[in-house]
Amino acid sequence: MSEPELEREIDQRFVEPLLPVEKRLIGWSLGVGAVSLVTLAIVSRYLPF
Amino acid sequence: MSEAVLPSAPGRRALLSEDQLAVVVGLLVFALALVGLGGHDLLGWVASTSVWTDPAKALGAVSKAYAQLGGVPALFATFVALLTTLSLVTYANGGDVRKFSLAFTVVFVIAYASWFVGSYAHLAAVTPADFSKFGISWSLRLTNEGGFLVALIAGLVIANFFPRFAEWLREAIRPELYVKIAIVILGGFIAVTAAGKLALASSLLLRGVAAIIEAYLIYWAVVYFVARKYFGFSREWAAPLASGISICGVSAAIATGGAIRARPQVAVFVSSLVVIFAVVEVALLPFLAQTFLAHEPLVAAAWLGLAVKTDGAAVAAGAIAESLLTSQAAVDGVRYESGWIIGVTTTVKVFIDIFIGVWAFVLAEIWTKHINAGAGEKAQLIEIWRRFPKFIIGFVITFVVALALSLGGGLTQKLTPAIAEANTFRVIFFVLTFFSIGVLSNFRKLWEEGIGRLAAVYFVSLFGFVIWVGLLISWLFFAGVKPPLAA
Repeated sequence: MSEPELEREIDQRFVEPLLPVEKRLIGWSLGVGAVSLVTLAIVSRYLPF
Repeated sequence: MSEAVLPSAPGRRALLSEDQLAVVVGLLVFALALVGLGGHDLLGWVASTSVWTDPAKALGAVSKAYAQLGGVPALFATFVALLTTLSLVTYANGGDVRKFSLAFTVVFVIAYASWFVGSYAHLAAVTPADFSKFGISWSLRLTNEGGFLVALIAGLVIANFFPRFAEWLREAIRPELYVKIAIVILGGFIAVTAAGKLALASSLLLRGVAAIIEAYLIYWAVVYFVARKYFGFSREWAAPLASGISICGVSAAIATGGAIRARPQVAVFVSSLVVIFAVVEVALLPFLAQTFLAHEPLVAAAWLGLAVKTDGAAVAAGAIAESLLTSQAAVDGVRYESGWIIGVTTTVKVFIDIFIGVWAFVLAEIWTKHINAGAGEKAQLIEIWRRFPKFIIGFVITFVVALALSLGGGLTQKLTPAIAEANTFRVIFFVLTFFSIGVLSNFRKLWEEGIGRLAAVYFVSLFGFVIWVGLLISWLFFAGVKPPLAA
């Protein structure tokens, strides 16, 4: 694919709805991330420095 | 890391990757420095630049044992050593040695001249004692690492006003090679710094783990969602873009592109964008950190590691922040030990880098099983190792060896000057990195390429989300933790 075609492609909006697996990936990432951060934040309070 | 933005080596196969070669060179410098422990000073001739008002007194060999060598011969020896080593690296990496040698000569001259200019007292002097020593009444207080900024500006001027010259230099414009070598050497320096305050260093490492969670689980998910939902990008564009913005710029975009079987050009476009935005961040964020986080230097350090993409730009931003924050503290009468701010930025960045391969594997697994299920491909565990940034192994080796020697007792007095000699090479590789980043940043070309919508996602995500969440997390884990005071 040539560069001008790629540039046109970037300017297009795709009709590619979020699949359930993508929604699960986003949801699980955020959920696990938030829980881990809270856990680490609590642990860090007990660090000597 | 930046295969996408580097000249491809024509005709000849690479014997070793850029990553592996960075480990070889970094370990070579480190090993030569350690020979000094046995009383043989093999690196003391490397040229260093002091803060100056009289240019004739600025240059000199880093070790007193080589003081009789003189500044200009030391600089020439440094140049010859680097040219020889990096020409061999270019050969082993499949590049054009003749083109590299010519271009590197010019790159070295401009980059070192930038460091020299940046060491001028009106730019670099920090404390009232310095002012009195040099007989000056004002200074920008950048320390002599202000030369990094001069090198960046020189590179930007060449990229944007002399594009043909920039193109001619390209064979020697290898920011990721230079910074990876610098990071391998930096491992030893950080270990010597950390050895005296081991409990604090361990605590900082644990706090750095938070960075991984944030980059991979929170940043990636949000940027991917924004790119897909609000900007309408396809999965092929959104996944490399999310990795580029949230993880580690170019290498993450390329790894993700490979994992989801995106066309190679997609990762190249995203990589160009990453490099340009990284330059903006380097030029902006350390000064914002100085303005708003002067009393929380380690929050600033972690923030830069989280917010600035690409290893080169992040560690470079940490170096600038260290000079700005320590010089500002010095004005207030507080003298922090050097090495802690850049150490935290580098640690955070390295932690993030370590898991690029794992994340690429996770994405490959999801894409092959659920999204491109018909393609008949399967994610392979070996990809994790293939994507692992090998220079991190070099960083860990120099860190562990230097830490063991520091804690072993009896060697500290010899180890500190030996590592300082290796560190002088690290600074030179940093200057080369800054200049190279500048030369790669042709804003006009990017504009002409018409990747505005891609840039819009990047801008919205980076300035609307990434740097603020990064600041929040850095504050959460590093607020109140200060670098030790210098003795």
